[in-house]
Amino acid sequence: MSDWKSLEAKSFYGASARERAIGIVDEGTFTELAGPQNRMSSPHLPVLGEAVEWDDGCVTGVGLIGKHPVFVISQEGRFIGGAVGEVHGAKMVGAFVLARQMYDRIKEEHPDELAERLPAVVISFETGGVRLHEANAGLLAHAEVMDQIQESKGKFPVISLIGSKVGCFGGMGFVAAATDVIVMSDLGRLGLTGPEVIEQEMGKDEFDSADRSLVYRTTGGKHKYIMRDANYLVEDTLGDFHDQLTAIMDAPYDEIVKCRRIGSEELVDEQLALAELSVEMAPKDARDVWAYFGNEDVDQIPEMTTAEFLAVAKRR
Amino acid sequence: MTVEVMIGRGRDAIDMVVDPGSFHENQVGDVTFPDDIGPGAVVGEAAIDGRDVVVIANDAQAFNDKFPVVYFGVIGLEEAYKMAKVVYTTIKQDADKPVGEKRPLVLIVDTPGNGPGKIEEIFGMNKATGSYQLALAEARKSGHPVIALVIGRAISGAFLCHGLQADHILSLSPEFGTMIHVMPITSISRITKMDIERLEELSKENPVFAAGPQFFYQLGGVDELVENVEDMRPVVARHITEVEAAKLAGDGDATGPMGHGTLGEERGGRMMRRKVIERMEDEFASVAQRYL
Repeated sequence: MSDWKSLEAKSFYGASARERAIGIVDEGTFTELAGPQNRMSSPHLPVLGEAVEWDDGCVTGVGLIGKHPVFVISQEGRFIGGAVGEVHGAKMVGAFVLARQMYDRIKEEHPDELAERLPAVVISFETGGVRLHEANAGLLAHAEVMDQIQESKGKFPVISLIGSKVGCFGGMGFVAAATDVIVMSDLGRLGLTGPEVIEQEMGKDEFDSADRSLVYRTTGGKHKYIMRDANYLVEDTLGDFHDQLTAIMDAPYDEIVKCRRIGSEELVDEQLALAELSVEMAPKDARDVWAYFGNEDVDQIPEMTTAEFLAVAKRR
Repeated sequence: MTVEVMIGRGRDAIDMVVDPGSFHENQVGDVTFPDDIGPGAVVGEAAIDGRDVVVIANDAQAFNDKFPVVYFGVIGLEEAYKMAKVVYTTIKQDADKPVGEKRPLVLIVDTPGNGPGKIEEIFGMNKATGSYQLALAEARKSGHPVIALVIGRAISGAFLCHGLQADHILSLSPEFGTMIHVMPITSISRITKMDIERLEELSKENPVFAAGPQFFYQLGGVDELVENVEDMRPVVARHITEVEAAKLAGDGDATGPMGHGTLGEERGGRMMRRKVIERMEDEFASVAQRYL
């Protein structure tokens, strides 16, 4: 499949949800589940006079990385900003349900090969969180996904990929934080409150949402890597994300879960200490935090290539 | 019926829900929490009908001097980590107790949002709210009954943080001015470019976008509407018993977010959810062998 090979060279940032779903697993292994041919679109959008997509802006399916069955959730920012409604949210939950069933089946049928066949859920985020046209259903779906992440603990890894145009914001920002591993590119953005809302709350002098470089410094891949909120920073191609996933899945589960930043009392203590440090440090800009953690020439960091940055970055 | 607006009165609500004089702020078993961290979160142990519970509430009167965006019930970095820590402390202290003896967690909800500031984003507010949710989910799955009672505002991500991970969710009825929504209908109107009157008409048929606890009830996101403040205590106590019975019966998905999904379908509010999951299961069954 030369298609897949050309996909691997493609920019992750510009790739569609379906291209990402196909390209992050091994060649020719992706099967879409509840795909567009099923026409499982939102029943709520037409009521408000909005157009639907047959996949509801969320591509779900299964592929392989080595022998690992990988259940993929890939969000499409071109459809209502990748926002989560009832169907989109149910597809996310469905991927977790299948991964758990697969885990139980492998444990039963291949008990000696659980490690090399361990399933995973991989989420390629491109979303601002709840879809306002069906906000209540979208909100409830977020709670279900958080429940499913907790349910996965101790069984199989849940991995976030963030490098698409819309970034990962709103409620999906904490869904990503709750996963075991976060892989970002320099172009990825991760946060809770979107830039416009921060500006509205704090004033334009404090946070100008139109200042793209400020937004990147606060939420972008390099900042999250320094903060250890992103575990890996990779180049912006589907192939680089695929390779990183392969490397993660090669590691034993006990090693993988060391990437977590929250999810236990010890990690809460660590994060609370960081919150106290934020008071002491009172940074005016993310650059102050980079300098605090030992980075020199912080003005140059946004200009660096990923390779240059990784060679010199000092992390929390 | 007694209508008494409870917005901004998280501390009063604690007194109305627990046994008189039983609330010990910042105390959970032998652990004392510092009183200068996360003042917007009120935590401590209490009793309901003589049974020990752990309470987590919002205090809308408190200002967090260290984080200027945190006031009026906003859940900031410190508040969320403090809430998470209380949950983990409770789980640890009750680790050896069987289901049925683990202390219930009672969440009293009156929050307009998560900390929306620049420092919060630089240090990762998403981690703070996420960690409290994971803690609550862990408590629920390890056998602690978790009951949320919305007395005022339960807005968007803050409701996800403090409320939606509970086993059962209760809310004072709309007459109390209770607000549960992602966005008020005025904002939905602006985004969809539809008249508010038309949206209100539509919301009678379809509860998925309209603001209010009654719509969350129809979607299964609220188990029961409480119509008198005097009923808060007995209704919370009854739900603790019901949730505990479900846990003892061993059905983990009967309560909590997945249980609320089923409830939403029973009430006719979310009819696609289960169909989507079942379709995925059916389609996967036919290819599963390729992935084994």
